[in-house]
Amino acid sequence: MNYTFQFTEVWRELPYLLGGAAVTLQIAFITFWCGAFIGIFGALAKVYGGPISKRVTSYYVTFFTNTPALVQVFLLYYALPDAGVLLSSMAAVLVGLTLNAGAYLTEILRAGVVSVRVSEMEAATALGMSRLQLLRYVMLPHIAKTIYAPLSNFFVWLVLGSSLAALFGVEELTGRAINVSTASLRSIETFTIVAMIYVVLTVLASGSLALVGRLAFRVKAKVF
Amino acid sequence: MFGQIAEQVPLFFNYHNLVFLLQAAGRTLAMTIIGCTVGLVCGFLIAVLRRSLSIWLLPLRLIGIAYVEFFRRIPFLVILFIVLFVIEPLVPGASLLFIATVSICLLSTAFLSEVIRAGLESVPPQQIEGASALNFNAIQTLFLVVLPQSWRVILPPAAAFIVMFIKDTSLASQLGVIELTFAGKMLVNRGFSPLLGFGAVLLCYFALSYPLSRLAAYLEKRLASP
Repeated sequence: MNYTFQFTEVWRELPYLLGGAAVTLQIAFITFWCGAFIGIFGALAKVYGGPISKRVTSYYVTFFTNTPALVQVFLLYYALPDAGVLLSSMAAVLVGLTLNAGAYLTEILRAGVVSVRVSEMEAATALGMSRLQLLRYVMLPHIAKTIYAPLSNFFVWLVLGSSLAALFGVEELTGRAINVSTASLRSIETFTIVAMIYVVLTVLASGSLALVGRLAFRVKAKVF
Repeated sequence: MFGQIAEQVPLFFNYHNLVFLLQAAGRTLAMTIIGCTVGLVCGFLIAVLRRSLSIWLLPLRLIGIAYVEFFRRIPFLVILFIVLFVIEPLVPGASLLFIATVSICLLSTAFLSEVIRAGLESVPPQQIEGASALNFNAIQTLFLVVLPQSWRVILPPAAAFIVMFIKDTSLASQLGVIELTFAGKMLVNRGFSPLLGFGAVLLCYFALSYPLSRLAAYLEKRLASP
């Protein structure tokens, strides 16, 4: 068993791979914010909604959190053309991951909605706080404390989860890694470097999120 | 579209397809169970190692930290590819199922080690000081003092992570392991409507992971410290 590692060919492709990392971050960003949009409505429906909307959201959440994102995207990508909707591979991945993220974010945001207590709101109104003050001094600290850490963890999870886009031919980090490894036949080297890029990417993401959390919301989030 | 699906339904739910799907579900389950067992054992060892204070174990401790941080921060798909390309020359003729199982073990060791470590750290340090005052050695402290108090912190998130591993095994279809997702692909390639093929696979995954996630929710409620 003698294998000589040769990183030179892969190093040459580093800018190409880093471009893929940018696409990965884009996918994570888009799905995170669109998912958060779904999540806010889902969380409000789950806490304050009527019986029907409560039931519908909980079906949505249970179904999407208990099945793999990969098969969900498969279903979108291969079954929707039968119904006359043609999605590009990127669009299918974005829609699928957004729906998936929406389900998880509904659960996370629900915890935030629940953390605001009615009695505290009443006390704040009794003290003569305006709506804006109420939001800023009473609701936000509670919400931030409960949801900031899970949210930033979930963003990191999305950065990793977006790698499934490679299986649909989207050229994000993993997809470009597959391209490089098939072109250079230096598979171990390529995927080692790509793994390192992912590590740096997620450490940067969780580090900067922890910093923002500490400065803006006084939340102590762990990086490691 | 729906007319075509209605035509295919009786063809789809025949004996052979159902056995095929069940076998595939069995492979998914086997990968998860082996992965989680290995993950719990190795994760426990790493978690205990990371708590040890001996200077001689420092290099091992650093390796443990590096391992956990590395494998928690790369996508499972990349782990699969790395394991595939490393194992193929080392063990010629290794089956794809073996490679996928090894990858799941690597992943679950990293995540479960972190869960177990959080559980072990939830025990107040006074308990450990008390144990050392009673002249307990390290193993006695671990098994008689720390573990009885921390298992109820460990179990609920561990169950939640096991649900995650069931879903992660779907990526092993990319290697060609005939588990649920790959079975769905094969059924679709045989000419069944994608809605039917992948829909059935989604339901199988749901049947596997829903009871477990209910268990996780129940444990969380039941074992919550008062």
